Amino acid sequence: MAEDTQEPLAGAGALREALRALLPPTKEELALELGENVERSVVQLLQEAAELFCGGRRSECLQASEAILDYSWERLNTGPWRDVHKDWRRVYAFGCLLKAVCLCEEPGDTTAVAAALKVCDMGLLMGAAILGDILIKVAAILQAHLRSGKRPGPGPAQEPPSMKKARYDPVSVPDMTSERTVPRLHCPSLEHFRKYFLVPGRPVILEGVADQWPCMKRWSLEYIQEIAGCRTVPVEVGSRYTDEEWSQTLMTVNEFISRHIRSEPKDVGYLAQHQLFDQIPELRQDISIPDYCCLGDGAEEEITINAWFGPQGTVSPLHQDPQQNFLVQVMGRKYIRLYSPQESEALYPHETHLLHNTSQVDVENPDLDKFPRFAEAPSLSCILSPGEILFIPLQYWHYVRALDLSFSVSFWWS
Amino acid sequence: MAEERRGSWFGFGFCGFGQAPGSGRGRQVLSPEPLQTPGSGADVRRVSASWSYTALVTRGGQVRLSGAARGAAGGCRDAWASEAQLVVLRAGPGRGAGPELQAWAPASAMRGEPLWARALGPEAEAEGAARGEPPAGALSLLPLLPGARAYVSPRPPFCRALAPELRARRLELGAEHALLLDEAGQVFSWGQGRHGQLGHGSLEAEPEPRLLEALQGLPVAEVAAGGWHSVCVSETGDIYIWGWNESGQLALPSRSLAEDTKTIPREASGLNEDGFEVRRTAKGEDGAPAPFIAIQPFPALLDLPLGADVVKASCGSRHTAVVTGTGELYTWGWGKYGQLGHKDTTSLDRPCRVEYFVDKQLQVRAVSCGPWNTYVYAVEKEGS
Repeated sequence: MAEDTQEPLAGAGALREALRALLPPTKEELALELGENVERSVVQLLQEAAELFCGGRRSECLQASEAILDYSWERLNTGPWRDVHKDWRRVYAFGCLLKAVCLCEEPGDTTAVAAALKVCDMGLLMGAAILGDILIKVAAILQAHLRSGKRPGPGPAQEPPSMKKARYDPVSVPDMTSERTVPRLHCPSLEHFRKYFLVPGRPVILEGVADQWPCMKRWSLEYIQEIAGCRTVPVEVGSRYTDEEWSQTLMTVNEFISRHIRSEPKDVGYLAQHQLFDQIPELRQDISIPDYCCLGDGAEEEITINAWFGPQGTVSPLHQDPQQNFLVQVMGRKYIRLYSPQESEALYPHETHLLHNTSQVDVENPDLDKFPRFAEAPSLSCILSPGEILFIPLQYWHYVRALDLSFSVSFWWS
Repeated sequence: MAEERRGSWFGFGFCGFGQAPGSGRGRQVLSPEPLQTPGSGADVRRVSASWSYTALVTRGGQVRLSGAARGAAGGCRDAWASEAQLVVLRAGPGRGAGPELQAWAPASAMRGEPLWARALGPEAEAEGAARGEPPAGALSLLPLLPGARAYVSPRPPFCRALAPELRARRLELGAEHALLLDEAGQVFSWGQGRHGQLGHGSLEAEPEPRLLEALQGLPVAEVAAGGWHSVCVSETGDIYIWGWNESGQLALPSRSLAEDTKTIPREASGLNEDGFEVRRTAKGEDGAPAPFIAIQPFPALLDLPLGADVVKASCGSRHTAVVTGTGELYTWGWGKYGQLGHKDTTSLDRPCRVEYFVDKQLQVRAVSCGPWNTYVYAVEKEGS
């Protein structure tokens, strides 16, 4: 029994030390520079919380942090997201920081640390960077602590054999004999790509560009679970985002894999359009930014990198995005159909503001009575395989269906 | 003739800034407590609560602040509290002059200069009187201004005009929407709609007041706006409710309440023999699991237990409170700060009676919610 009680205490002590070392020591430094968008009362509460934290009054600090979190959460949900002032997101992140560290103050079990990591993830997902990206550092420490506590890897003996592999159903691979395919190029020069594809806005598949990225060999379900398993991510639940039953929810990567990938899922879950690589820098090491992005106007920091991770069968309805896109396929294959922006009328976009960049037509099962012009609209299609990059020009309509368990990484640039 | 007994005000919920009903004893009060006010608590005729402070308006025209904003000032007919500014309606500077609208920084304790002020002119009163509005001081209307040609907003522009043909009787503001009740008992809504709070059946925003067609023909007596939800009470005592249900504030099955095993309702499913918590799932009438509802984009009729009829309603950020004709108070929605008054911090997605008032033989007459708290006016029952 003595050995059991020794380990957690030492572990917890090391954790507390590591976290303390990260945080500014005085309440003056444990503060945010905020503009006038944040009311005095909130600033007052932030100061109070910092003071309680520095004074070691943990449970009172937790209470104050909860109020900070709840109030700023309400502000984050007021008005369109793009209009939410960054200062509110920073306040939210600050609340997450204090709450997460307070949760770890007690010699706690892994539940407290997992809860603290979840709080960090909420701060990363909804908040904005504060105190030199401190939440990323705190999350890394918490994650390392959780991983060191685990027994090494889920061995085969622990999982029922039927759960081990992702399910694979023989899927409808589309008959593409009557479809025009996206042209393929092997490592084109920057100038060639710019002149023949970027400027005229033409899709192309680039081969030999990403196929040596570390992710191609390294990423597997086991690897992803090891690196990111306990991290909380947003998951889209429902066949497609145009459905009434569609919703977004949060869960850990482990929960996502077990609920929506390994087992017989009740509904489709898709870890879609999430900046996973900002949240988990370790994964960022496994990918690169395609060189061709330098042909754009924006700076490298402005490039949005999204992860798209899900089971066989996820569908993104036909839609268009306001930026250039390099879609890199890492695991599994995706069937993709593309339509030029010139064909927009034949694609019957939704009339609501919310969905005006999405077509009403179900690409692989179109209702031609309702949408007659769709049948005649010219298109390109392809099956994108691991190691390949699809260039989707700005505003080019695209429809995507995963033919296998799939992981893609998209780069949105201008 | 029944005598109108003087009642008193009670409060419960968040008081993290020391506002009533707390007095530094803690950040929240989980069960109704009488408001400590100097002089008689019966003196208070209106309560307007913002997140960090509460304003009490007395019959004598005093505004008393508690919480992050403190102080008191006289000569006020009405007050409306928000984080950005405290808006008060004061009697005009001289006889015959109309009332003046003043906005104060909450921390100023109404000393020094207001952030801005606007004379409303005597015609505002006259117009109000012509339309049958009670004389000055009797009824609070803020954020609707006397004369109902304009209303106050916590964000610039602070004074916003209303089309005269709207004939507004009552106006309520949510976090990103507005509700208007007109003289004919019709309801209009405008603002952001992404949480269904406008009630027009879609998630689209509406830039201008739009009539709620779903309620057309139903004479509405009262409207109330929460952060992202809307309530109206018909003249026959029915409640209609719409908008965001993320904490059960619509009294519809809420997924987050069912899945969060920490928030177990009092009459809980509890533990089964194996000691595992039983997941609470919503049940439809036939016993099959009912779907969870996150957003209700058009009005839904809500039945209270025992078919009670409703006379008053008020909403906080994410909770709802109603008063019945028989003087009972029902609350539901977000309960984390005790704002439901059920002695705990459980959130509920169905209406529950606040037993305190029943136990104390008090008849509830009015309710006014701050974002995270609730204020109740109650009188002693006859013959008690």
